[in-house]
Amino acid sequence: MKEDIQYIGEHLWPGILGHILIILGFTSVLFSAYSYYKSTKNEDDLTWKKLGRAGFFIHGISIISLVAMLFYIMVNQWYEYAYVQAHVSAELPMRYIFSAFWEGQEGSFLLWMFWHIILGLILIRKAGEWESGVLMFLALAQAVINSMLLGIHFEIGDTLIKFGSNPTLLLRDTFSGPIFEKADYLVSISGTGLNPLLQNYWMTIHPPTLFLGFASTTIPFAFAMAGLFTKKYTTWLKPVLPWALFSAGILGVGILMGGAWAYEALSFGGYWAWDPVENMSLVPWIILIAGVHTNLIARTTGRAIKSTYIYYTLCFCLILYSTYLTRSGILGDTSAHAFTEMGLEPQLIFLVTVFAVLSLILYIMRSKFIPTFKKEESILSREFWMFVGALVLLFSGGIIAFSTSLPVYNAIATLWDPEFVGTVIKDPIPHYNKFQIWIGVLVSVLSANTIFLRYKTENMSGSKKIAFAKSQIFYALLGIILTGLLSLWLDYFHWKYALLTFCASYTIIANLLYLISVGRMNMKMASATLSHIGFGIMIIGVIASGLNEGTLTTNPFVMKGLIKDEDLAKSVKLIKDEPFYVNNYWLTYESDTVIDKTRTFKVKFEKEDSLLGNIDPFYVYPNILYANDFSKVAASNPATKHYLHKDIFTNVAALPKSQQDIKYMKEEEDSLKYVTYTLSIGDTLFTKKNYGILTYTTFDPTNKDYDNASNDLGLGVGINFYNLDKTDTFQIEPAIGLKENMLYQYPQKINDIGVKIRLNEQTFDNYFSGEDDLVYTEIELKKGESFDYQGETFQLLGFEKEFTDPNYPAKENDIAIQALLVNSNDQLLKPIYIIRDSKPFNIKDYLAGTGVHARLVSINPVNETFTFNLAKDKRTKEVVVDIAENVPRSDFIVLEARVFPGINLFWIGSCLMMLGFFLAFWQRRITRNA
Amino acid sequence: MKKSYIIGLIAIIAGIVILLSASKDVTTYATFTEANSSQKRVKISGALNKEEDIDYDPLTNPNAFSFYMIDTDGKSSKVILKKPKPQDFERSESVVVTGKMQGETFIADEVLLKCPSKYKDEELQIRGTAS
Repeated sequence: MKEDIQYIGEHLWPGILGHILIILGFTSVLFSAYSYYKSTKNEDDLTWKKLGRAGFFIHGISIISLVAMLFYIMVNQWYEYAYVQAHVSAELPMRYIFSAFWEGQEGSFLLWMFWHIILGLILIRKAGEWESGVLMFLALAQAVINSMLLGIHFEIGDTLIKFGSNPTLLLRDTFSGPIFEKADYLVSISGTGLNPLLQNYWMTIHPPTLFLGFASTTIPFAFAMAGLFTKKYTTWLKPVLPWALFSAGILGVGILMGGAWAYEALSFGGYWAWDPVENMSLVPWIILIAGVHTNLIARTTGRAIKSTYIYYTLCFCLILYSTYLTRSGILGDTSAHAFTEMGLEPQLIFLVTVFAVLSLILYIMRSKFIPTFKKEESILSREFWMFVGALVLLFSGGIIAFSTSLPVYNAIATLWDPEFVGTVIKDPIPHYNKFQIWIGVLVSVLSANTIFLRYKTENMSGSKKIAFAKSQIFYALLGIILTGLLSLWLDYFHWKYALLTFCASYTIIANLLYLISVGRMNMKMASATLSHIGFGIMIIGVIASGLNEGTLTTNPFVMKGLIKDEDLAKSVKLIKDEPFYVNNYWLTYESDTVIDKTRTFKVKFEKEDSLLGNIDPFYVYPNILYANDFSKVAASNPATKHYLHKDIFTNVAALPKSQQDIKYMKEEEDSLKYVTYTLSIGDTLFTKKNYGILTYTTFDPTNKDYDNASNDLGLGVGINFYNLDKTDTFQIEPAIGLKENMLYQYPQKINDIGVKIRLNEQTFDNYFSGEDDLVYTEIELKKGESFDYQGETFQLLGFEKEFTDPNYPAKENDIAIQALLVNSNDQLLKPIYIIRDSKPFNIKDYLAGTGVHARLVSINPVNETFTFNLAKDKRTKEVVVDIAENVPRSDFIVLEARVFPGINLFWIGSCLMMLGFFLAFWQRRITRNA
Repeated sequence: MKKSYIIGLIAIIAGIVILLSASKDVTTYATFTEANSSQKRVKISGALNKEEDIDYDPLTNPNAFSFYMIDTDGKSSKVILKKPKPQDFERSESVVVTGKMQGETFIADEVLLKCPSKYKDEELQIRGTAS
């Protein structure tokens, strides 16, 4: 039995400590929540508040210690821990240790909790009278996430209930296998390491940003709940605003980083694909934006307080719902993202339900006390249209969430009716786009004119109305002009897209003019207009880069539209050094280099111009990543050429079959039919379609696959190859090398004529004799004496007593001496004589050029003579080569190249939008402190 | 009429229109037999048939590769995907293809793969080392 085994080499303390810290973290945060709850009941008594703080501090220390400990065991690669084994490997570079940490679900929950702790500590310092209420709900949220790490498993009837997953469990407690019957199982276990797709810097920066975004949405929610709970229904609206603005900015940046990652480093070919995982991080953000807008209304006019409650709560619940969707595996095959299922679905459902239901109950109980106005706002007021705008955003998020939840409805329907056949969205991208176009139109128009209205306007004089209408018409006209100018560059394809472009142009111009005229004086309004301008620019960027995206590497002779889209080839085959023409570009695959596990290709792009010839040459360097054991291609990393007005995106979509997988390489090699030829230098050999002349042999092969440093001995044979149909001469040099008594082949392939040539191992034996085949001659010499050996004259020059030699690992108390024998070509033979532990040894030296082996076998100190043993290789000088013909070529890549026009508009626009939120956050932060 | 009613009414109408429009975009997973009889563009979910060859030779055509897939009825059919072969395709467990039937072959222009999770792989590895 497993229990009886005394395992060797395990470190057990992190498991015990980890368990304690998780439990301590969980109980202390619950305690903190309870103390803060008591504190809200009696604000004058500071005891409970202090206890709440103490609980939160203890929780913070526990969780941060847990994080530090988990890092420690990951850095030390203690594979007895399942989490370490699953995410770290010996080959994993240290710079990816963070990525490895949050690759797993447990690590990402810890990251989330870490941010909650940081935000909580800031709140304790800054929230003042709101501390108790807000921290109470933050601590509750934290407790729920903490429960995801508890790792308590129990059975109810036949079903195993999992309550959390502990990241500090031992591997042998997580898996069962015969390997654990060995006490020293640790020596045979290696880490899985980080998925190669995730080994880039985006994985280091995207998750922390996104999780800070997730964690920050808890704060507006906690404020809203605290407002309801402590019956201070309006005063929370001011302190919450900077938090909500910060959250909107940081969550937006986190989502954008995901898009940038997909675009820059993954081969998706785009920044947004309406994948469920993307959608479910976007929806809470959209709802949060709606909440920020109603919050602004509520702050200024006292209206829309209820909506603000609803939006902030909904935003937080949607974050939890999104966590459930992406981590439960329910999305199944509707998402390209790969998830590891942990069997925590019931707990995740519980988590979402608890918060949704509790906040709903609290809201219903208290909603009648929330101040409202009897009289409706005027349609001439800013708050009315901002309210409408928030509703449009709610619709936008609602539609996305509704469609993305399709797998959930399927799962629910299957509960009632096991025969139920689930549905899917046939083509997701057009499905989402067709609705969001209209959202874009409405948001653009609303953000263009609402900003010119004033809060609390009851009525407007006729002249003011006319002035308002006139200015709006003027902006719209400018918008039309901008749309027209853009049409010189972009295709709109459909009137809907032209309309969307117009609306975006309209909002850019209106907000820009507002910024110049009013916003200059008013920083708060400046940040709002900045975000709106950013939105407009982003929409134009989407139209440009999405709608006008084009494939460069498509069938060169087929016009788009003449062929069905599905028949349109998206990538081309580029043979090395052969320029290939596609859509006005000449593409040349020039070279490739392998560093570590990355193979980088150098591809040249030259634009063809009818007048100027080939202009504007540039290079791209896409690469592929091999699996850890080099057995196959694990991932491809695109390369993008950035211009101001467009990007050219390239990706190596495929390699020759023999290079995709070592299996295919073997298959191909096995299928080759080699014919063996035996010849001497100067001889000519004839195959079916080619002939070759042996020109030289060398002991320093120049064959590029051959590595001089790592081989002990090498032989290369130069052959000039000719094809009967072609005029080219192919100069090749197949080689063979000896490394630690193993022979390695360095064959050569001529892709143009499909020939592969390798040196037969017989050639090696013909040149170099093994120790067993050598016949040694004994020669006695004094220093300075010369002798003749097999046609060569050698002289004993002298000795070295202080020397280093790669073949001689020195040891203390050795007595060693190295003889220096020189031949007539000034080549040195340096045999070594050693006395180690009173026993004589010798190490031979060898001249590959003439094949002479020399040993210093004994020293006679009396008459100062030295005895050498010399032997010589047989050197039949017969070269044996194996030649295969009809070899499939392997000197090409399959390249996909796409153009994204104006993609910078998308990045600039969306960054401006986030900048607006951060500016607003900064503004409000200052005014609050003042 | 109060403005909130008007807004509510517009929202309801918009909601209904969206729902009606969205309902046209959903479909159930078809089977090869259904795809053959309907001759429409459909989505088929199934498993990669690992008994049969996966054929992708970019030398002859970089933009097509073929494999066999077993649909939910258990029927295996040849699928030609008009794209380069995705990395790690061989390892995928479940496959969803979108396209049309042409004769006996399903011509797909989109594919979605689900690879087994890391942990399962790990289990195999641990078992493998032991045996």
